Amino acid sequence: MLRIEHYSKTYPGGKRAVDDVSLHVRPGEIYGFIGHNGAGKTTTLRAVAGVMDFTEGTIVIDGYDVKKNPIAAKRVTAFLPDNPDLYEFMKGITYLNFIADLYDIPADQRTADIQKYGDAFELTGNLGSPIGSYSHGMRQKLALISAFIRRPRLLILDEPFVGLDPAASHLMKGYLEELCQKGSAVFFSTHVLEVAEKLCHQIAIIKDGRLVKCGATAELVGDSSLENVFLELEGE
Amino acid sequence: MKKFWVLLKVSVTSMLLSSSGMGRKSRKKAATGAGAMVLIAGLGLYLSGLYSSMLMEVLAPINMEVLVFIFMGMGALIGGLLFTTFGVKGVVFGGRDNDLLLSMPVSSTMLMVSRVTAIYLENLLFSLFVLGPAGVVCAIFTQGGVGHTLLFWVRLVIVVLALPLLDTALSVLLGALVAFLSTRMSKGILGQNIVMAIYMVAVFWVAANLNGMIEGLAANAAGVKDSLSWAAPLMWMGDGLMGDWGLLLAFAVCCIIPFVLVVFVLGKVYGRAVTAFAARAARSDYKLSAQSATGQKKALLVKEAKRFFGTPMYMWNSGIGLIMLLAGGVAALVMRDDLREIVALLEGEVPVLPLVALLMGVMLSMCAIAAPSISLEGKYLWILREAPLGESALLWIKVGFELLLTVPCTVVTGVCLAIALEMPVWQWAALLTSTILFAIGHGMFGMLMGLAFPKLDAVNETVVVKQSLAVFLAMFAPMVLMGLGGGLWLGLAESNQVLALTLPIVLFGLAAAVFALILVKRGPAMLRAL
Repeated sequence: MLRIEHYSKTYPGGKRAVDDVSLHVRPGEIYGFIGHNGAGKTTTLRAVAGVMDFTEGTIVIDGYDVKKNPIAAKRVTAFLPDNPDLYEFMKGITYLNFIADLYDIPADQRTADIQKYGDAFELTGNLGSPIGSYSHGMRQKLALISAFIRRPRLLILDEPFVGLDPAASHLMKGYLEELCQKGSAVFFSTHVLEVAEKLCHQIAIIKDGRLVKCGATAELVGDSSLENVFLELEGE
Repeated sequence: MKKFWVLLKVSVTSMLLSSSGMGRKSRKKAATGAGAMVLIAGLGLYLSGLYSSMLMEVLAPINMEVLVFIFMGMGALIGGLLFTTFGVKGVVFGGRDNDLLLSMPVSSTMLMVSRVTAIYLENLLFSLFVLGPAGVVCAIFTQGGVGHTLLFWVRLVIVVLALPLLDTALSVLLGALVAFLSTRMSKGILGQNIVMAIYMVAVFWVAANLNGMIEGLAANAAGVKDSLSWAAPLMWMGDGLMGDWGLLLAFAVCCIIPFVLVVFVLGKVYGRAVTAFAARAARSDYKLSAQSATGQKKALLVKEAKRFFGTPMYMWNSGIGLIMLLAGGVAALVMRDDLREIVALLEGEVPVLPLVALLMGVMLSMCAIAAPSISLEGKYLWILREAPLGESALLWIKVGFELLLTVPCTVVTGVCLAIALEMPVWQWAALLTSTILFAIGHGMFGMLMGLAFPKLDAVNETVVVKQSLAVFLAMFAPMVLMGLGGGLWLGLAESNQVLALTLPIVLFGLAAAVFALILVKRGPAMLRAL
């Protein structure tokens, strides 16, 4: 579903944020991406989502090269940044329809999906209010709903648990698994190692822009815990 | 006090960075920004000097220099109000850094004073640009040696420093009213738009009346001065400048007291005001019904329209040219008999067609709708970047939205003016072709300026719409093009009328084609690089 080959990113000024990262996310997999602050997680996720340009390496989503065929790649992708800023001059429902229009989602499908996810995240009643009046958590939920209604083949999430209440976090985990059961894949970054350990089929650990470890969660963790593995790698 | 200077520095730096482009990574862009600022300052000084000298030429021989300062003072006051009132809601009450700064160990009063001072500095600049040249002109033209003494300049400095205090107090009050209405009325945007509309009508009414007074100046200067008793503080300012220290003191007190009162009262309630103005009406009883789908392009166009009409700051600043364009066209049609009489009087002396085209071009130049649109995306740009859309489509939608507003208004105004002035068909065609080509070129040029000088991290939309370099350039640079077209007409009109008419149209067409080419070739890469 997602194939990253030799991806590197150097910022103006010469800082190499990501250095020769290669990884592969298969259909049906939840792939966790962990690392310390500034390790290169967000830079990688933004490049995968087509939000940020890059010069080295290739990124292919569902057969579409992000550089050569960006529109086709984006059509099967949904991306949620760590702090999703949404148009404050729009109402919640206007924003969802705006996104649905950009992705050519049919009217009946969007109505059903907005109802499903809106009710589940207890946001339907607030959809008539301007986004400017939403709390951080409500915005996060709205952004999540806007991602789920796209029925993406690849869902890219940057720190998705930040700002969500425990019930919404639990609900989101369920929907991520549901998405994967339908053949899609999830690629997300997190600092919540317990969640990553329980939820992810595969995990990659990035340090100073380089992948230091990746593989199936069970193999990576072994008899230890993800926290111990992570801290050991950080200490090296 | 140190904290105050730090806070003031933050506000002023933010304004300077957005307006001038100083501090940009690219030296070329920074130089362009600084150059544009110098150009604008020069233009302001030139216009002020021009009007001052026109008035002074008439009034100095009858020893009524005082009226020049009264009129220029009114100009500075109205201009400053127009320039800063819309900004108060964003700069004083709605800064995106409110949470950060209010959480710091500084008093909310100090924060408020620093922001009001930033508004004062803007008004001070305006006051200096308007009254400074008037003082120079006075020194050159005056008969009684008014402008030749050091004390005159001391008094002028006092006036330049005091007048912006009154301007700032009034604009803070009006800005607070706008912010208050936007939270109290269920249709907050409508409320803001109504206030802005009333305000604009009042400004135009005062400006129109002033114009009438100026026309009758030479014949009855003393009578005109007497009729200005309603603007007593400005009369005191004028008489004070002429040497009456008592009246100068009265004027200074009239400026200082409102400012101190506004600062004092606002200081007491600033924390509560910021909290109240930030509150948004919300409801939780929405019932989902069947939704309808539309295409990508329509969705993007509707989004642009919602932002434009839903952001009074954006609409009234970037749409004022359109309103004036339409109002001018309709007024010409309604008062066509009077207009035809004037044109008959000017027959042969003033070329009507180029003059009308020039006026329409100036109004169109003020419609910088596409120019701030990229910066207004700001923190929301990720939404469009992750959407399955080509960069060119995004840019052309933004240009297209401006053209959707400007082209129909241009056509309506052009037709109204052509009917009112009884233009022959070839003049209709020339007027519409030249102005439509100019409008098209203006939209694309504005988009290019928005891409070249983005302000994606602006603390509020005020900074983008009122103070960004992209908007300045999108407004003033096309006026240069319009001037070139006018120059071509003037240069060729006597020798070859057809060429004189054709060449400016070709120039506008060529400019539009060049801007389109740059937008197609470079636009997507410029957007990606942001």
